[in-house]
Amino acid sequence: MPLEYCIRYNTTNTYENKVHSAYWQFLIIPETNESQDLITTDFNNSLAAMNEFSINGYGFSTIRVNPRKNFQEITFNAEFKVLKKDANPFEFDPSQNIKEDYLRLNSLNFKVDFDQFLKNTPFTTLPDSSMGLYQLDDTLSLFDNLQALNTWTYQSIYFKVGVTDVNTTLNNIITKKYGVCQDFTHLFCAIARNNKIPTRYVSGYLHQGNGYFGDSQMHAWAEAYIPTIGWVGFDPTNNVLVASNHIKVCHGKDYQDCAPLKGIVCSQGQNETQYSVQVISRQQ
Amino acid sequence: MLARVANNLFWMGRYIERSEHIARYLNVNYFSSLDAPNQLSQSRQFVLRSMLFMVGDPELDDDKHLLEEHVLYKIGVDHDTPYSIINNVKLARENANSARDLISTELYEAINKFYHFILNYDPAIFVKNGLHDFTLHITEMTDILRGKIRGTLLHDPVYAIIMLGINMERATQVIRIINAKYNDALNSQGGYGDKFSKSFEWTTLLKCAESYDMMRRHYKKTPTSVSTLEFLILNPNCPRSIMNSLNQVYRHIKVLDTTTNYNKNATAFLIGKVRSEIQYKHIEEIECNIQAFIENILNNLSEISLKMEKEFFNY
Amino acid sequence: MTNIENKIFSSYQRDSQLYDEIFDEEGAIKQVYQKLFNLYGEHSIEDYVKLNSKAKSSFFNQGITFQVYGDKETKEKIFPFDLFPRIIDPEEWEIIEKGSIQRSKALNLFLWDIYHDKNIIRDGIVPMDLISSSANYLDQMNGVDPPGGIYNHISGIDVIKHKDGKYYVLEDNIRCPSGVSYVICNRTALKRALFGVFNHYQTYSVTNYAENLLDLLESVKPQGVDIPNCVVITPGMYNSAFYEHSYLAKTMGVELVEGRDLFVENDFVYMKTIKGPVKVDIIYRRIDDQFLDPLEFKSDSAIGVPGLFAAYKKGNVTLANAPGTGVADDKAVYTYMPQIIKYYLDEEPILNNVHTYHCSRPEELKYVLDHIHELVIKPVDEAGGYGISIGNRLSTSEIELVKEQIIESPRKYVAQPIMSLSVHPTYIDETEEFEQRHVDLRTFTVLGKDKEFVLKGGLTRVALQKGNLIVNSSQGGGSKDTWVLKNI
Repeated sequence: MPLEYCIRYNTTNTYENKVHSAYWQFLIIPETNESQDLITTDFNNSLAAMNEFSINGYGFSTIRVNPRKNFQEITFNAEFKVLKKDANPFEFDPSQNIKEDYLRLNSLNFKVDFDQFLKNTPFTTLPDSSMGLYQLDDTLSLFDNLQALNTWTYQSIYFKVGVTDVNTTLNNIITKKYGVCQDFTHLFCAIARNNKIPTRYVSGYLHQGNGYFGDSQMHAWAEAYIPTIGWVGFDPTNNVLVASNHIKVCHGKDYQDCAPLKGIVCSQGQNETQYSVQVISRQQ
Repeated sequence: MLARVANNLFWMGRYIERSEHIARYLNVNYFSSLDAPNQLSQSRQFVLRSMLFMVGDPELDDDKHLLEEHVLYKIGVDHDTPYSIINNVKLARENANSARDLISTELYEAINKFYHFILNYDPAIFVKNGLHDFTLHITEMTDILRGKIRGTLLHDPVYAIIMLGINMERATQVIRIINAKYNDALNSQGGYGDKFSKSFEWTTLLKCAESYDMMRRHYKKTPTSVSTLEFLILNPNCPRSIMNSLNQVYRHIKVLDTTTNYNKNATAFLIGKVRSEIQYKHIEEIECNIQAFIENILNNLSEISLKMEKEFFNY
Repeated sequence: MTNIENKIFSSYQRDSQLYDEIFDEEGAIKQVYQKLFNLYGEHSIEDYVKLNSKAKSSFFNQGITFQVYGDKETKEKIFPFDLFPRIIDPEEWEIIEKGSIQRSKALNLFLWDIYHDKNIIRDGIVPMDLISSSANYLDQMNGVDPPGGIYNHISGIDVIKHKDGKYYVLEDNIRCPSGVSYVICNRTALKRALFGVFNHYQTYSVTNYAENLLDLLESVKPQGVDIPNCVVITPGMYNSAFYEHSYLAKTMGVELVEGRDLFVENDFVYMKTIKGPVKVDIIYRRIDDQFLDPLEFKSDSAIGVPGLFAAYKKGNVTLANAPGTGVADDKAVYTYMPQIIKYYLDEEPILNNVHTYHCSRPEELKYVLDHIHELVIKPVDEAGGYGISIGNRLSTSEIELVKEQIIESPRKYVAQPIMSLSVHPTYIDETEEFEQRHVDLRTFTVLGKDKEFVLKGGLTRVALQKGNLIVNSSQGGGSKDTWVLKNI
């Protein structure tokens, strides 16, 4: 039976001085894919500026706002309704030939097909000293290995808000052992990619009914490509497989490709941002 | 035409015109003071103060002894003084640079030469004995530039915008010069029974606006306060008068704004209104409170400028 | 021999080790230069001193300058111009022109391929890391079809003549190659100074560049646009190539815009004019990929246009050159050019490639480290002649330093044998004489939908320092007018 979710995303930006020119680009609209359907989208801003629905460089839906007047405060409210299939993440045929899967990873065509999600970015590059941090067991299937990696990542970092920010690199996370969902995800991606498994960073919403970490903000997890199965979602922050509680917005190489909000604001002085995300489930 | 580039062209016109008026003011005041009929008008301090007053940077300390070389350097060739002639020319060229693709090669080359002439002028020579040569060159070069503007550009919106800049600035500078010389005439009263209305400063004022010969031809009498102000403010045939400048501004704004509908929010409407007010004034109304008139005109001009910016140069 | 009688060449010193463009091995003037040589001989060297300073001040007054940033104030400098032109006969030109078109087309097909199916990699012709480790490969361009299928609308191909008298390509510049305005200015300046010499040769005109460029750009207009509106975008008047940007806008008769003059609404691009917004369809951009759109690339770019990339991706505006072309500008890609040409066009390369050693390959790295003194070491992703080391000019300690750098990041460097660029008589200010100086040639090729154009001329760049092989203007190079003859 499908689940219906209502997602509310609200943010208010306040500036010390008048803002003369500003652009924002929101990357917060849930995508429609095999496991979810976007039913309705409602977006507005307090300045009644035009909301332009567009796409970003990777083809995901965005909303751009450019108020052509001076202001000191602006509020954005978004509400989405999504239908999510209730699927079992373990529902696939386990691989028959483990060895062949590993060979696939090494084939040139495979590497060409998944190049974008095999190369490491500054956020998903492990320091040289940590190269042997985690080893795959090649007697196990890729899926089993990734699940073990998911658990290992979950156990390697303590979830704590405020220690890291969007610019924190893996080096820092490995030594300090604190982080939030994007740090868990970056670490997972880095290790999987070092083992030639195409892995992408996913940005989305998490329904927290079950007491998961997600901190009423947008959530992040990873998707790894397993030959014969396809893209499989892993949530290392909560040590679970991605299921019907995860509502996907977009994916990319790392956080930078998926930043929910990009802004270019010309203003002097301080500014303050209030921001909240709510995911409400309505069992149908 | 791009709004930003239009703005640059407008200011190119203004800076060209501004550098000319400052240069001529320095030249005329300095050299006519040398044989002025009364002692105060001859006084070097008096002339230097007048120069600073005209560029909007008056010396407030009455007891301060000003150094000639210092004042000339500051107004003429100082890179650090925003209103200096060298900075005006630099800005004129910078504005021309950004609109290079729209103006003629001939005009650009002339501006560029002008800039290099000033940039390479030795400041030591300028303050010592180069004042005449330097300022004369500037007034001549600006004439050449106006010639190039008139003769090598299509008379289209590009031309209209440059002419708007030139004429807005001319009106502003002439009114500032009137203000400065009016102030000088007030201050130099009293020496040898020299009365305000017959002050020597009125002749200097006309020369500062290059209008002395025209005025003599028109009135055939020694300039007085009334005849001078009438000529420089109200006479539509005097090319330097406020009246003529506003007529030109109106003519050129109509190239940009071709509508004939009644629109009280249009820049053209405001210009027409200001122009008509002056057109039907007589000099006695102005003379009884010249200070208020000057302020009023300056306010009107800046209001026009702001409106123009909003309507055409908004980017 | 004629050159002994010739007053202006009386003290010309010919190094027989070098390939002189105007004298043969015996020191006799080459036939194609004979008339020019005689005509110049009618002048005295004093005439040259005068003509030279006149030409200089003409450039200066026209404001054909670039900015040099000093400690206190920025200075304006002219791009030094030499009065003795270079002549290319029709036969040689045909090779250059055909070779340039061949390379541009091959590069265009290569770019389409690596942003779509990537067959050249799957077929093992070029290695995977050519794109996966290139900083200039834009993932955002994956699967995007640029209007008209053209990526490198404008290519600047640098060729040299080696000792063997053959042309070799040194570099393909397909980001925003500059210099074309100087080709035209040089011609104008030479005509002003020595108009008499032009009557004696049938030379192709170079003034048709702008109209051809506009024509070809308009051929790749976005779909559904009837009469396209084209603009040139510049980073601003403080950019060193601003003169060229304004020149191109002026001669094409289009607006020269900055990022702040444009805005995007509902994925269409508009410029702000005195009469309100006007839609823009084609943008000849002279700003780098990373600065195009702060919402998509470098977020601190103040010279870009927010939303521009989305408009491009939706096919509502043409960008020339297309974003992401820089990946094929990489010097590592250069080394595969013969294979790339063969793969896409099934042709042999018309212009030679200089043999290149990849430091990323262990056996070649070893060769490079052992032979640095006979090689030129180049970083793969720098433009403008920066970071180049010439082996035989380095001291022992400098060699060690270069070795260290290479060992540290071998992927970043390639090495080539030191090519001996041909020399051309060049008037030298300091000595007031004509001397041999190394030259190269940058050709300008424009690709449009089913048509192409090569400017019959190009920019001959001169390394003004004696013995210097680097001709880039940022490294103190000058230039010469270049005549392509219609017939001999």
